[in-house]
Amino acid sequence: MKHYALVGAGVVAGFAAAMMLFPAAQGASNLSAYKQLDLFSDAFERVRANYVRPVDDGTLIDTAIEGMVSSLDPHSSYMDAKAFTDMQIQTKGEFGGLGIEVTMEDGLVKVISPIDDTPAAKAGIKPGDYIAAIDGTPVQGMALNDAIAKMRGPQGTKVTLTVLRTGEKKPFDVTLMRAVVRVDSVKYHREGDIGYIRLTAFNERTAPGLEKAIRDLKSQIGSGIKGYVIDLRNNPGGLLDQAIDVSDDFLNSGEVVSTRGRHPEDTQRYNAKPGDLTGGKPVVVLINAGTASASEIVAGALQDHRRATILGMTSFGKGSVQTIIPLSEGGGALRLTTARYFTPSGHSIQAMGIQPDIAVAQGNEDDVSKLVRPSEADLPGHLTGENATKKDPVPVIRAAPGKKYDDFQLAYALDLLHGKLTVSAVTTKSAYAN
Amino acid sequence: MKSLALVGAGGAAGFCIAATLMHFAYGADAAASSAFHELTRFGEAYGYVRADYVVQPEDRDLVQGAIAGMLGNLDPHSSYFDPETFAEMQVKTDGQYGGVGLVIGSDEGVITVVNPIGGAPAEKAGLKAGDAILAIDGTAVTGMEVDMVEDKLRGDAGTKVVLNILHKDTKTPQDVTITRALVSVEAVTSKRNGEVGYIRIPAFNDQTNDGVKNAIAELRNQIGPTIKGYIIDLRDNGGGVLDAAIAVSDDFLETGEIVSTRGRGSSDVERYNAHPGDIAEGKPIIVLINGGTASASEIVAGALKDHKRATIVGMTSFGKGSVQTIIPLNGGEAGALHLTTARYYTPSGQSIQATGIIPDVAVEEGANRPEEQASAFQREADLPHHLNAEGVADDLKPAVINPTGKDYDDFQLTYALGLLQPALASTTPAVKAKHHG
Repeated sequence: MKHYALVGAGVVAGFAAAMMLFPAAQGASNLSAYKQLDLFSDAFERVRANYVRPVDDGTLIDTAIEGMVSSLDPHSSYMDAKAFTDMQIQTKGEFGGLGIEVTMEDGLVKVISPIDDTPAAKAGIKPGDYIAAIDGTPVQGMALNDAIAKMRGPQGTKVTLTVLRTGEKKPFDVTLMRAVVRVDSVKYHREGDIGYIRLTAFNERTAPGLEKAIRDLKSQIGSGIKGYVIDLRNNPGGLLDQAIDVSDDFLNSGEVVSTRGRHPEDTQRYNAKPGDLTGGKPVVVLINAGTASASEIVAGALQDHRRATILGMTSFGKGSVQTIIPLSEGGGALRLTTARYFTPSGHSIQAMGIQPDIAVAQGNEDDVSKLVRPSEADLPGHLTGENATKKDPVPVIRAAPGKKYDDFQLAYALDLLHGKLTVSAVTTKSAYAN
Repeated sequence: MKSLALVGAGGAAGFCIAATLMHFAYGADAAASSAFHELTRFGEAYGYVRADYVVQPEDRDLVQGAIAGMLGNLDPHSSYFDPETFAEMQVKTDGQYGGVGLVIGSDEGVITVVNPIGGAPAEKAGLKAGDAILAIDGTAVTGMEVDMVEDKLRGDAGTKVVLNILHKDTKTPQDVTITRALVSVEAVTSKRNGEVGYIRIPAFNDQTNDGVKNAIAELRNQIGPTIKGYIIDLRDNGGGVLDAAIAVSDDFLETGEIVSTRGRGSSDVERYNAHPGDIAEGKPIIVLINGGTASASEIVAGALKDHKRATIVGMTSFGKGSVQTIIPLNGGEAGALHLTTARYYTPSGQSIQATGIIPDVAVEEGANRPEEQASAFQREADLPHHLNAEGVADDLKPAVINPTGKDYDDFQLTYALGLLQPALASTTPAVKAKHHG
């Protein structure tokens, strides 16, 4: 590649074109690569020249890259420069905002809850409030993400919300000052003599948060602590290194996870370091169909090392690794699937998920249709699993008919750690735990 | 440019790309340099995906994905046809293919006849709507994709195909041998309605103009010199080939412009004019339109309206006034771009885009066409990223006539017949006007 020599007019420019356009090209297989690239530049040029109105070159290329990358699998995508910045804010776990968890209802933004000690909480925003307008712009017809983006902004700036509240006749305006909001991904409390820790995501503050939670629970409960429940239900994942650190907190040695790319030399193994923060106390990990990606790494590692009992329903099955590849000069970034995750026993998570040791249904699984919550195997264009063998069907434990539990899976987990069955359960055979 | 020469390994490939890009790299004008910069960015992304994706991707798939992404984002009608789709589309615009003449669907995996096309081999062989096709030439088709089954049914005219059929009301399947023939995809149909000739054009393809001419000749024969006029039904006609729309308009016009297309540059104007001769010999014409009347159909309605050659009856049309040009890549081997390159303008200079053709007499569909009532046609102006209207005068819209009290199978047609045959006017309903939204 480096031995090209060019003769004639326009040499420098032509050389630069070939080199710059395709820096990663090497070897003989590139004949096809060049031909295809040539085809693309032909299409690009024709659109530029013939489209009914002038189009921005940058927009054309943004959409081309997006089209190329998103056709690969459901998790590969392209982020333009702005989306890339937003993502960096999200994974940092802090951003300038108001501190409310929101959802969409009847075309309006509905407050689920204000986060403690944030501008929203201080201004008296209440759960169940509806936000009808943001800075005077009606929310009706807006996508939830756009509404959230409008509420976010640099700390210290102001935003006015028009709020509808049950019991109030008229909408009223509230002006709030944005502040840095920390998204807490770790919530915990004691359940008698058991420590309950829920991880809602894996961001840069998750492993330190978990470590603090374990310390606090140990000092609250004291030496009589029976064990821990780590709740990974509906945790969609996040950062790989945080999942590894979280797993490592319970393991003394051995592999946590390996990622395997296209070439054998791409394989990376991550190993545990000595030290188990819980001092070897029993651990139950709760999973369900919303447990994905980084969460599945933790569940898989603790399951394979028999460090925890995995309880709940089969997880989502997102066993692929996305790498963020920034393009040069503010050209956005690729979010590209570059590898698959494998649990320490060599089991691929992809499309199969983690199967629980004890399959326990929450009882509401049927309420959530497949459309609302698909698993990886339902996504179009998903990668197939590798070295994945479907295990035998596991009998599923359910609450006995007529019995209602706020959280049957948690109740069952607590019983398990106490070594006695207080819940009333029935077992249904011959069903996959999904 | 041609004096470029490359030495060394990979030279041929390097040359190819370098040469393509020379006209970007060459010359320092801002537009070319922006294009070059952006193309470089694409090349970088392409290189990363090729090198780092978890499995080895096909270069072809990457570039097809990129072109589809680039085109698909421009407007609702620009798109990329991969080579397979492109080949299929050519069959469609030709309007003819070798086959048995069946519209089929899949009913929970069972391939079922939706509709046999009138006069085609399958209908002649006795196939009816609701029949199940179990096997074709001995291959079971249950559970197969409809596209694949269609491929199996197609073949050169004159060749034979054996279908294993389970008729709707029988229990034993039977084999039916059918000889394929040329089948028209969307044929023009006509019927006599008293002294009025009714012609329905479901789409515009290469067969359409002949279909219209034949229909007119046949109706004139049937009805004789007392013929009162013609109804041309363009409702739910989603368009098709531009040339066909021009030819059909020309059938009824003696002179003047039919349509013009205007591209980006001021010089990109093409005008299409009528030639002498009116196959309807000046008899009154009513054109029926609705929210499903789009594109090529709107050209016909617009031309006949502007020349006052026809009365346009029905509801405002869809408003697709943009022209797509098929640009084959690598001679079609690499598929084709379906690119919006111009806008249509009616002879009076009105853009169809996003506004549609407004009827001379606004008449609602009867309540007995519930499927259309319910769908409340999405119009061009409702589509995301639609091109905006340009040079549109805000027309006064006529008040809408709608049926009151009575049920009509097809109120618009009834109304049109009433207009052409005043003797029947007593059957025309009581009407009520309201403002057209």
